[in-house]
Amino acid sequence: MIYCASFSNKAQMKIQQMVFVLVALVIFFALVFIFYIVISLGDIKKDGRTLRAEGAKELLRSIASTPEFIYSKEDCSGCVDKDKLFVLKSRKAYEGFWDLDFLKIETIYPPNENKECDSSNYPDCNSITLIEKEEFGSPEEVIVLLCYWNNEKGGYKKCEIGKIYASGKAIK
Amino acid sequence: MKNKKGIEMSFGWIFAIIAGAVLIFLAIYSASKLIDSSKTIQDSQLGKQLGTILSPMETGLESGKISKIALPGETELFNDCDKNSGTFGAQKISVSSKSGFKDTQSPGAQSTFHNKYLFSSDSVKGKNYLAFSKPLKMPFKIGDLIYLWSENDNFCFVNPPKEIEDEINNLKIESINVTSSKCSKGTNICFVTSGCDIDVILDSSGEIRGSLKRKYSQRVYFSNSALFYGAVFSSVDTYECHVKRLLKRASELSLIYRQESELLGSRGCVSSTLSISLEAYSQKAFLANSSQDLLSLNYLNEQLAEVNNDLLCKLF
Repeated sequence: MIYCASFSNKAQMKIQQMVFVLVALVIFFALVFIFYIVISLGDIKKDGRTLRAEGAKELLRSIASTPEFIYSKEDCSGCVDKDKLFVLKSRKAYEGFWDLDFLKIETIYPPNENKECDSSNYPDCNSITLIEKEEFGSPEEVIVLLCYWNNEKGGYKKCEIGKIYASGKAIK
Repeated sequence: MKNKKGIEMSFGWIFAIIAGAVLIFLAIYSASKLIDSSKTIQDSQLGKQLGTILSPMETGLESGKISKIALPGETELFNDCDKNSGTFGAQKISVSSKSGFKDTQSPGAQSTFHNKYLFSSDSVKGKNYLAFSKPLKMPFKIGDLIYLWSENDNFCFVNPPKEIEDEINNLKIESINVTSSKCSKGTNICFVTSGCDIDVILDSSGEIRGSLKRKYSQRVYFSNSALFYGAVFSSVDTYECHVKRLLKRASELSLIYRQESELLGSRGCVSSTLSISLEAYSQKAFLANSSQDLLSLNYLNEQLAEVNNDLLCKLF
């Protein structure tokens, strides 16, 4: 191979041109890559939100039969134990257990003044909020029977119609 | 005279070849990395979806029924149990789908579920999976246990008790058989004879209670049929981990019932005996270290169930 070391101005110009073209190419591909990453990251976030929302929907369908919710005193399909939920509200151990951003149980019938349950007004209240993060999107809902033991008339199971709201969308 | 003149090549050509080679290498490298990462994303999504698919099985309606999970292609499912994550430990699921010529691929990101108990081998390979669930009651409901295996796996229950035989026959599934002698293929689970893949010893109570031992593994204990299936379908480590998680939940649930009992007490339905038993049960369950402690918890279970049944306003 013969290599001529004497660079002419023309040759130097050619090398410079080539370097510029290469640099431009690298910058172009880098921009395309960054564009692709931004778009795909957006898609991943969207998919993540969808998956969490789907998870929340599925959980909502089965939550009434979980041990913490189920009215297990007698056979009552779809019944939720209001007393148990009121106790559950104060249990710190359940933080993060359901991977939800919002979980609320509300009595819709008989209609009652909108009062969050606490030790001073229970059971004459109509909502128990178990999870409420700052940002939780629009919650899904399911209708259930909220039952508890009432000591009037010798004691009996009293049920109200309620709704469970759940949401799991707060992926930023 | 020998001609020493080589191939003549201008600087432009040399530069173009080297730069071209570098560019092509970078393009191929980044393309393969992108394919790998998009596969990891797909596997991660599949893992999360699988967890979501398993949720409807946990409802009472689907209990004891076989569900078939068909995945788009050949996959490997990794079942990992973490007993130290949060208060109740965690079920971690990850999936690796087979693509191209590689047989083993790294799995996608683990999906974590604190409220699921999946009993299966540490890794299950296949395209189609079979699963069923059963609620665990000790004496109140603690959770729904899900048992999962590949459609390619076979199980053979040799001389099981009537309760197990009826349950398996009701599942109506080809890959699980009830026989009176060992099967030639699959995992043999023997109740009367020994020397099988899994040897089961039941106690004399007539209940599904006792222990089982896999070949080359340590003995595990169970106190009801839900835990028995768990011990059969999962590895020793996964079983022990889930038992620990379930007992932590049992401990917390008994505290909820104790508080509920106090709440009912304020409304004229007092049961101090149950309250004391629940406290004792909670402590015992919290301190349990292995499945062997299930047997000692059994006495407290029976005691709790008895006191509860005598109450006017039952707790569970």
